[in-house]
Amino acid sequence: MSDHDFERQLRAALKPVNPGADFTARVLTRIAAEEPARRVRMPRSPAMAGWLGFGLAASVVVAALLAHQWQVRRIEQGREARRQLIEALRVTDEKLDLAYRVVNAQPHAATSPNPGA
Amino acid sequence: MSGDEACASGALLVRANAGDTAAFATLVRTHQRLVHSLALRMLADRQQAEDLAQEVFLQLYRSLGSLESEEHLKFWLRRVTMHRAIDRLRREPKLPVAPLAEAEIVASESVDGDPLLERRLRALVAELPPAARAVVLLRYQEDLDPLEIAQTLRMPVNTVKSRLKRSLAELRERMTAAAGAVP
Repeated sequence: MSDHDFERQLRAALKPVNPGADFTARVLTRIAAEEPARRVRMPRSPAMAGWLGFGLAASVVVAALLAHQWQVRRIEQGREARRQLIEALRVTDEKLDLAYRVVNAQPHAATSPNPGA
Repeated sequence: MSGDEACASGALLVRANAGDTAAFATLVRTHQRLVHSLALRMLADRQQAEDLAQEVFLQLYRSLGSLESEEHLKFWLRRVTMHRAIDRLRREPKLPVAPLAEAEIVASESVDGDPLLERRLRALVAELPPAARAVVLLRYQEDLDPLEIAQTLRMPVNTVKSRLKRSLAELRERMTAAAGAVP
């Protein structure tokens, strides 16, 4: 058998065949059953796609700015807390110093001669 | 396809995309033979082929907006059917790679050809590895040239040519062996 004959037989053997009856109806039924849940379609026009891209990019920029602001605010809060801590330590230091001086001054007053005795 | 038919198909695509169910049904009826035959010969199982063909048309319904013309639609249907079939065979390698159902064989036997020979050829094609089977089907069922097959299956054209050559040689050899085995 020549190559040509063999290929002709192969074509004859592989002739397309129709599906069973009502195939179209079965396809439409399946689409009706499966599509409602997935009906969300992306916008198809280039203009809408462009706006969608612009909106997405704008959202990313706004999110980045908000994150930056939040970071700056946290740093400022940290600085304020540090300042308040230092102030508290300074006040405590002054009070301790005062108390130390009062305590040191009392024995000295107790050992001094009583002029009334 | 004549210019008028192409125009009509283009109009059908536009109407189907606009939600006209009757237009979509006409598209399915026009192309069901192509999709079903490829699915059936790839999977060698009538039920699996029916399911795959339905999935392809379901995907078509969702992709109508991206198709531009009748030619584009046919190219798309062939590509999606073949890739889905190959994927399915990879996922479920135990799908029967056996002679097709008797009903299909009877339905596709030619009046003037040799029914036994054609049946044997279909069985041998069904035993080829999936990628080689896809190449053979697109060449001899869909009558595509190697470049079109390469574009459909997204493979180098030289690979298509070598697979075709090797598959034909294998099919001929096995046909000869089978003929020799017949007493």
